[in-house]
Amino acid sequence: MILEYVIGALSGGGVYALLTIGLALLFSVMGLMNFAYGELLMAGGFAIYLLRDLPWPLMVLGTIAAVVVVSLIIERLAFRPLRDADAMTLLIASFAVSMLLQNSARMAAGPTALGIEPYDALQRNADLLGASVPVIDLVAIGVTSALLVALLMLLTRTQLGTQLRAAAEDFEMANLLGVRANRVIAAAFAITGVLGGVAALILILRQGTVSVTIGQMPLLIAFVGAVVGGMGSLAGAALGGFLLGAVTGLLDAVLPGELQPFRDAFVFGLVVLVLATRPQGLIPVREVRV
Amino acid sequence: MPAIDLSRWRTGLWPVVALVAVLLLVGAALGGSDAVMQRVGINALIFVVLVVGLWSFSGVSGVVSFGHLAFAALGAYTCAFLTIPPATKQGLFPDMPGFLDFLLTVHTGFWPAVLIAAGVSAAFALLLSPAIVRLSGVQAGIATLAVLVTVYTVLLNWDEVTRGSSTMIGVPADFTLGRAIAMAVVVVVIAWFFSRSRVGLRLKAARADEVAARSIGLHVVRDRTVAWVLSAAIVGAGGAGYSHFITTFAPNQFYLAATFTTLAMLVIGGMRSLTGAVLGTLVYSALAEILRRVQSGQIGGVELPGGAAEVVLAILLLVILVKRPGGLTNGRELPVPRWPMRRGGGAEEHEASRA
Repeated sequence: MILEYVIGALSGGGVYALLTIGLALLFSVMGLMNFAYGELLMAGGFAIYLLRDLPWPLMVLGTIAAVVVVSLIIERLAFRPLRDADAMTLLIASFAVSMLLQNSARMAAGPTALGIEPYDALQRNADLLGASVPVIDLVAIGVTSALLVALLMLLTRTQLGTQLRAAAEDFEMANLLGVRANRVIAAAFAITGVLGGVAALILILRQGTVSVTIGQMPLLIAFVGAVVGGMGSLAGAALGGFLLGAVTGLLDAVLPGELQPFRDAFVFGLVVLVLATRPQGLIPVREVRV
Repeated sequence: MPAIDLSRWRTGLWPVVALVAVLLLVGAALGGSDAVMQRVGINALIFVVLVVGLWSFSGVSGVVSFGHLAFAALGAYTCAFLTIPPATKQGLFPDMPGFLDFLLTVHTGFWPAVLIAAGVSAAFALLLSPAIVRLSGVQAGIATLAVLVTVYTVLLNWDEVTRGSSTMIGVPADFTLGRAIAMAVVVVVIAWFFSRSRVGLRLKAARADEVAARSIGLHVVRDRTVAWVLSAAIVGAGGAGYSHFITTFAPNQFYLAATFTTLAMLVIGGMRSLTGAVLGTLVYSALAEILRRVQSGQIGGVELPGGAAEVVLAILLLVILVKRPGGLTNGRELPVPRWPMRRGGGAEEHEASRA
């Protein structure tokens, strides 16, 4: 029983950790809180729907590629012209991009949700130490851990990773020292695209449907997760996302039936409280003022 | 006449007189038009109330809120409880919890209901203020967004009281053009004199440089609380008016899409001036109506799939953000016509260039 809760919380938390890391990466590199991130999930969902008849490895790769492409297009068309704008302008702009993508999808696919045939292998329950847990949760935990390790390696062991961290710390300084702004920002958008694509695969295959507003709720949860954890650092954001995902999963399990629909009200009410007491997030970033 | 009086007129009174005149002219033009245009006009005037309400917090203090539609929702639901005939209410809410029983029997006229709705929204804002007003920038944006989601979730799921996603019905349809104009004019006047008051001017100083404002002893948090509560009251009144205009509504009318609309109106017009808030709303509304007609095939003869109008409006907002971040007005109030503007007319106009 306990183990089932733990697995549920770990898989829910892991997916949201992916999303909040994506958000925090963009925020630390260019000060962008990306409202349009939810629409990357939506794009991933539609890619899954379109590629559902292919063998699954191709479907997975195609979905991730599609999300990365959308992410790069957004960067090129909307956020590159706004590179020097302040955080608030960027937030509003990303809100506009979100509406733009959502309504473009509505024009193409219509307002109704599309069903995605479930993969039998994922829907089954597996036996783990006597507990019966959904296979998809185990896969989610495995994939998110692998991805987090890969990201950590990328950030610490490669030249691109060093440049990304330098840009996150002080963009102008990094620029002066020869980090090419376009390249490093495009790389950040591509990484968030990969993270978003994987998150979309997990969330949407679990849900079994895709609609134009599918990304909204996960985005809102990831948003506040990132802020709760502390936007400035990737570790803080990952923690925030993980906590929020885990709390959401846990509330699902422990809230009595009649309060179940109010889950999000509890989650977001909690967020207002955290922000009121710790405006910089649980893990505040040391800010060096020059 | 001493010059000082002229400058007082130019920067202190002329903009609000001009804006009221614009609203009255718009109203007069709509008064002679057909029923469809009148509805479009009333809708635009309601958004004037909402956006001016949002402006009196976000525009004056510079802290952007994504949560004001929660106050509109609160206003709309409060007003509905006060003005739906009691006999109808008995049938609509058979499972009303005991402690809210009084809602089934209370009844007031339209304007008292609007005032009470504004009061309820203000009280809710005051309750939230310790959590919200200390934040600024992105944190404030997210916190207000969290408020919006919380209120939305509660309204959507508290079926016994709000009827949840099944719509609220039975609100009298008596939000006439005259009432809409009256409400918009009153709200514009209130917002203007608030922004020119001591609190308003102090907030504008903090908007320009919060650290400097604090260092000279301005109590930014206290002033922001005043603006936050006042703007919630205005938006609550706007929500109340909306409920009598639309008569059937559900929580998702006060959610992200409407939030986007109000923010886009404010940003397109220019967040830093009241003229921007009003003009942005009128321009956006006119454009949205034209696009709606294009989309439905009334103009151009080709029907477009749903969502096309929103796509165009989102692109417009992006273009404004890139090309003219100060909005159409670039943060200025309406200039006095044919009056040789001397350089450096008012202190706050300089600030616009900072954007």
